[in-house]
Amino acid sequence: MNELAIAILLLGPGLGGLLAWRLRGRAVELVAFGTLIASGAAGLGLASEALGGNRIVALGNVASIDALGGYVLGLTVVVAWLAMWASPRYIRHELAAGAIRPRDEGRYYALFLWFVATLMIVPLVDNLGLLWVAIEATTVVSALLVGINRSPDAIEAAWKYLILGTIGVGFALLATLLAYASSVRVLGESSDALNWTRLIAIAPQLNPNFLRLSFVFALAGYGTKVALAPFHTWLPDAHSQAPSPVSALLSGVSLIAALYALIRFHLVAAAGLGPGFSSTLLVAFGLLSMAVALPFMVRQEDLKRLLAYSSVEHMGLLAMGIGFGGPLALLGVALHIGLHAVTKATLFLSAGELVQRYGSRRLSAIRGTLQAAPAAGGALGAGIVLLGGLPPSGIFVTEFAIVIGGVGRGFGLAAGIAAVLLASCFVALAVHGSRIVWGHSGPLETVRRTGSGMALRLAGPLVVVAVVGMWTPGPLVTALDSIRAVLGATGA
Amino acid sequence: MTVTPIDAARLLDACSAGIVLFGVLIAGTRSIGRAIWLVAVQAILLSAAVAGVGLATGSSHVVFGSLLTIAGRGLAVPLILGRILRQSPVRVERNPYLGPRASLVAAIVIVFVSAIAMDGATLGGSIGGSLGGSIGASVDAPRALPAAVAEVLTGLLVAMTRRKGLSIVVGLLVFENGLALVAFSLTYGMPFVVELGATFDLLMVTVAVGVYAQRMLTVFGSLSTDQLRNLRG
Repeated sequence: MNELAIAILLLGPGLGGLLAWRLRGRAVELVAFGTLIASGAAGLGLASEALGGNRIVALGNVASIDALGGYVLGLTVVVAWLAMWASPRYIRHELAAGAIRPRDEGRYYALFLWFVATLMIVPLVDNLGLLWVAIEATTVVSALLVGINRSPDAIEAAWKYLILGTIGVGFALLATLLAYASSVRVLGESSDALNWTRLIAIAPQLNPNFLRLSFVFALAGYGTKVALAPFHTWLPDAHSQAPSPVSALLSGVSLIAALYALIRFHLVAAAGLGPGFSSTLLVAFGLLSMAVALPFMVRQEDLKRLLAYSSVEHMGLLAMGIGFGGPLALLGVALHIGLHAVTKATLFLSAGELVQRYGSRRLSAIRGTLQAAPAAGGALGAGIVLLGGLPPSGIFVTEFAIVIGGVGRGFGLAAGIAAVLLASCFVALAVHGSRIVWGHSGPLETVRRTGSGMALRLAGPLVVVAVVGMWTPGPLVTALDSIRAVLGATGA
Repeated sequence: MTVTPIDAARLLDACSAGIVLFGVLIAGTRSIGRAIWLVAVQAILLSAAVAGVGLATGSSHVVFGSLLTIAGRGLAVPLILGRILRQSPVRVERNPYLGPRASLVAAIVIVFVSAIAMDGATLGGSIGGSLGGSIGASVDAPRALPAAVAEVLTGLLVAMTRRKGLSIVVGLLVFENGLALVAFSLTYGMPFVVELGATFDLLMVTVAVGVYAQRMLTVFGSLSTDQLRNLRG
């Protein structure tokens, strides 16, 4: 049964992509929607089982999905659905404007489906080597998506992303090799020796020198893909130049997939070396990322780059929270991962709509959206307020939990600085946001009707984020508790 | 074919020396075409060393790994890069951030530093004994570790100091060859499925590089990364 679900999950978008490659218009949209709905349904089935606290083991011992894996899988499905839902409107506009060549329409959907498929492999596999293969594959496929419109800027962004991503992930391979070398004496030369479930179980016997080096390389390698400073420089380029639905996927879930890989290394390192080593590094690099993002957000002139730097800030916060450890901070981290993913995805989708409507990404050009584009403009304003963590946003609760949890675990100074940085980033976002929403709009480049579908897909996720801040339904509490248990499993 | 462990060890030494030498030559050349075939030779030497140890120890997955290396890194990837190069008007690295002579010297320094550092590292001592099992006893693969680390660093040096897109990719491939040698010297390579996936990924990266090189040629008229400095802040 689980094998069948996994087959549908991966083969659906895999084969759908092959079919979509040469199609155009309605046909390709139907293929893409159909395969993604089927695959996503299978994914949500697996995710809900794993989130209930039952670890799923399938395909021999190749696949192993615990609550954290189920959570990442579920979020991937949700964000992929939102981004796919927004794609036809976005792509048709680009085609009409001549920004994308007609034959690239099918390729967009094909690459989109393959990107989602590679993202969904990440939380499934038990083997750190295959995990690496999957992460590297997400880089290649998404790099092809980033430059799908052949503007000089998009080519530059995609090139940098491809090269820096490959070097970064190369270091992650080194980390994987060292983990393998640390375990091969204990487990022998089997592919089991790279399974994180096995590594955690035998962690105290692993060679500590290798394990320490392994985590350092994992932090540099997967840290590049998570966009922790100082390895983040590709992110603002790639996330701003990509087609907006792809930006939503990149910022919403591709960062989380890489963070998931880093968490697995952290858990193995914490089990083998004690939590001190990897936690301290995570806190330091997390804090640095937040500090680096702030000035770029304050002085930002490009709407999508503003959102991209905000992702650097939030990934820093998550890394820091994971480093803090302890039930409170980890509960905050667990919920924050999801809330950030859907909020940021929605923000990129509404930003995409605004950029097309105004014909510019410049913040100085996008003004008075509440009159000119009520749905997208309203969603952008509301999204920024929620993302900034103003009550009743769920993000207020999660940020509060991470900071207080950090104080409780003896990271008072780091938590204090983080609180100041969070508040400053919110002010930076809010200043830009209020100008966008309330300012006076000039004449617009294109007149477009606001579809009810668009209003629904922008408002829905934001309502969820706001409601979760005030009321958390029972099943969600259970799920978050299982995720927190995974994150804190090794005393980290 | 019978290969004794002693033969395999000699082959490994010779090949890792060759890999290091070709790495230095890559750092010291201006011609992108020459750099591409030098990196291909590196991959062929790598797979020869791997095949030797595989045959000596009778472990089939190691031999398969070497075939994979030669097909992917030794043939497919250089052929794709060569095709891109033939379409490019400029085939030499004109203004690298670090000139060929300086890079040559830097690469030699890297080789010496890696040799000394890896010799003194506590890692070196512990790995030899850490590999139990059938293979570890007969051929001492960690002896290739200094060469592997030198290649990883040389690759980074080349990737970071060149301006032409293809030269950067050659640096990336030297880096990847170094990683493969690290993998081999630490653990006799990865489990076969992982090797398969990694080779496939490397091919995909090369294809993606090809796609963007094409677009750079169309849009900018060259493969120079000098044009890629529009995105700031």
